[in-house]
Amino acid sequence: MISLLQAMTANNTDSLMLRDGKIYLVMTVVSIILVGLFIYVASIDKKISRLEQETKN
Amino acid sequence: MLKAKWWKVLSFFLLLYTCTYGFIVKVPKLDDRMRESIRNMFFHVPMWFGMMILFFVSLFYAIKYLRSGNPVHDVYSYAYASMGLVFGILGIITGAFWANYQWGSPWVGDPKQNGAAIALLIYFAYFVLRGSLIDTEKRARLSAVYNIFSFFMLFPTLWILPRLTESLHPGGQGSEGNPGINGKDMSANMRTVFYPAVIGWTLLGVWISTLNIRYQILKLKKEELL
Repeated sequence: MISLLQAMTANNTDSLMLRDGKIYLVMTVVSIILVGLFIYVASIDKKISRLEQETKN
Repeated sequence: MLKAKWWKVLSFFLLLYTCTYGFIVKVPKLDDRMRESIRNMFFHVPMWFGMMILFFVSLFYAIKYLRSGNPVHDVYSYAYASMGLVFGILGIITGAFWANYQWGSPWVGDPKQNGAAIALLIYFAYFVLRGSLIDTEKRARLSAVYNIFSFFMLFPTLWILPRLTESLHPGGQGSEGNPGINGKDMSANMRTVFYPAVIGWTLLGVWISTLNIRYQILKLKKEELL
């Protein structure tokens, strides 16, 4: 994982992430947070669905 | 299995769009003070739009409860009001943070800031009222009535009074029209992000509200009240 990240930053993403005052870096950070939040909300949704199934049976 | 609904996916993609294109879309350079911070329009303002929409849904179910007496409607009303309040609190915190750099102080006593604070306090009282009643039916009925009152207090506090005096927010006395409805005050570029942002954040709020609703209903079933 770490070597993958190193490889990514060393090569192609470098030019994008360092461009325009590094705004793309901020954009990526915010997107990662957003994806994480949605995964969390979706997992709670799943847990509640499972409970609903159990109470139905 | 995740209770799949197309609008949950839509919410995700709209917010992903907001959080990516929102940073690179061309915004007008108004003055040296505002600069890039106008992009807060995609994050701070949708909190308030989302709050108003969720409070309206809460009002809808409060009235529905009074007509039906069905405890499920009370659960709906409560869940939407609490998510609306979360949006309101986030709105006021982000607003104060922005104001600190735009207006020089986190709280400048701007009429819309004060109005929003009063509106939120009125909604806080809704939860105080709920917490103070043990009898579930009495709690549901009284809080539904109070919910109607608190929603209609949004009219003076957020929609009328701030527009009658001078305000640092858009839409105060002296500026034309209603900035909440008249989108022409915003550049066309920004509108391509702003409206998707409002829909995206609101849908996320609806999603979290439905989770709360489903949890509360499960709880009622477990306590054999339903």
